[in-house]
Amino acid sequence: MRKVYIVGASLLKVDEQWGHSIDSLVSQVVDGLAEVRPWKIDSIYVANALGEILQNQANLGAIVAEDIGLAGVPALRVEAGGASGAAALVSGYQAILSGLADTVLVIGVEKLSDATPEEAVFLPSLSERYDLVGFQGVTESALAAMMYRMYLERYELPQEMVAQFPVIMHEHASRAPHAQYQFKTTLDNVLSSPVVSPPLRRLETTAPADGAAALILSSSDALPTIQHEQVVELAGAASSTDIVFPFDREDPLKLSAATRAFFEALARAGLSREQVKVLEIHDSYSILANLILESIGYSEEGASGVDAKNGMFDYGGKVVINAFGGLKARGHPLGATGVYQAAEIFLQLTGRAGACQVDGAKYGAMISLSGLGSAAYALVMKEG
Amino acid sequence: MHAVFRPPVNWRHRRFRYKLVVWRCLNCGAVHHYATSICRRCRSNRIDEDKLPDRARLITYTVVKNPPIAFEKQAPYIVGLVEFEDGTKLVAGITDCDPEELKPGTELERVVRKIAEDGESGLIVYGYKFRPAITRGR
Ligand SMILES: [Zn+2]
Repeated sequence: MRKVYIVGASLLKVDEQWGHSIDSLVSQVVDGLAEVRPWKIDSIYVANALGEILQNQANLGAIVAEDIGLAGVPALRVEAGGASGAAALVSGYQAILSGLADTVLVIGVEKLSDATPEEAVFLPSLSERYDLVGFQGVTESALAAMMYRMYLERYELPQEMVAQFPVIMHEHASRAPHAQYQFKTTLDNVLSSPVVSPPLRRLETTAPADGAAALILSSSDALPTIQHEQVVELAGAASSTDIVFPFDREDPLKLSAATRAFFEALARAGLSREQVKVLEIHDSYSILANLILESIGYSEEGASGVDAKNGMFDYGGKVVINAFGGLKARGHPLGATGVYQAAEIFLQLTGRAGACQVDGAKYGAMISLSGLGSAAYALVMKEG
Repeated sequence: MHAVFRPPVNWRHRRFRYKLVVWRCLNCGAVHHYATSICRRCRSNRIDEDKLPDRARLITYTVVKNPPIAFEKQAPYIVGLVEFEDGTKLVAGITDCDPEELKPGTELERVVRKIAEDGESGLIVYGYKFRPAITRGR
């Protein structure tokens, strides 16, 4: 049976890259793939969420193909909000399994530092239904804050059960050279950081970030012709959607798109959840860490906070989440984030994760969300 | 940055924004804020115009401290999740009160207020908000 492999990964430090355009970030990140030869790419997928708004630049398929000297190669831009990167990877996976492509280059790139502070608050609401939500001045953070409040009230939990996740993320990022925020923090710091929308605090959200990450995917048929160091099998990928307005869903605290995508990807890979030892989750807001972990069955409903407190999601626990700091601390360059998640799992499964290495990890998974779970993309990887 | 508000869009949504005129599925009851031919829940094509009630109850709320574009002059402001008697839920600005006056279950009534002004296009837009009910009855 035809299989899909990741044969190379490259990522840039997530940062505010004032001096670099989309084009220069793309050129840098693709230069990091120079070890993969021959340089024969059948198809390019470019993940980006906001180029036409912040850089007045759409049509990033053709633009990026030319940037990296591949004008002539089919190229397409993929947009799915914060999950654009994962959506591009799912598309690349499908292209290879279809037999129409043998080698696919997936690039995620985003430059959010060009936004004004008001734009930075406004732009995430574009993933919600604007006429119902953004128009009313309801920011995405405000929606997340209302889900957060509902969660604390339903399960009668102290805020710590949610607010501790950023502490774990910053601890992990303190060992990750490519992370945006490499400082450690404490629960006190999180809970005394400025209120964004109560109960949500600033240290429970992300900040504008620029970044680029890239992967080369190869079919099992083409693998023998490619020079590479180590490979990882992209063993399963799946996606799903949900009602867009979270409070219109049967239960706003259940991310059912994430549930469906995650278990379908696991099934395709022929793995059980217990075998996954490294997991990248989409913690653009602290509360999403709880909701994702509960929606994909790592914790009972309302119990992810206690489980985290007991070390279940840290080194030595059941599964290590966001070993490089996740969206919270590695950073969230929107359209590029999913490609970062995949590149990080690649580093883990090839033993190149440095001080963030999870020992003995043979299988890894990631889950990426658009908005507050209106779409979810999951990928599962196996040691090559 | 592009214009946040555009006159044609404002005109198109006027009846929803001012009066909460909606399109309701006659099969399952789902509400749409846009004219539609297919129900987003059950795919029925039996859709008819309807209007949401003038009253709703507060489910939960928060405060926007960091404003988005076009809301710069208003922050901090309260936004809430409200539920109508048919179960339809909306988020909206909550006005004419302080956060301390609000709790889950607070009865609200719809008012039409200025929503925001887009500095670049100069357009001032109006629409529904909710305030604690001060008039009697439903
Ligand atoms: Zn219906």
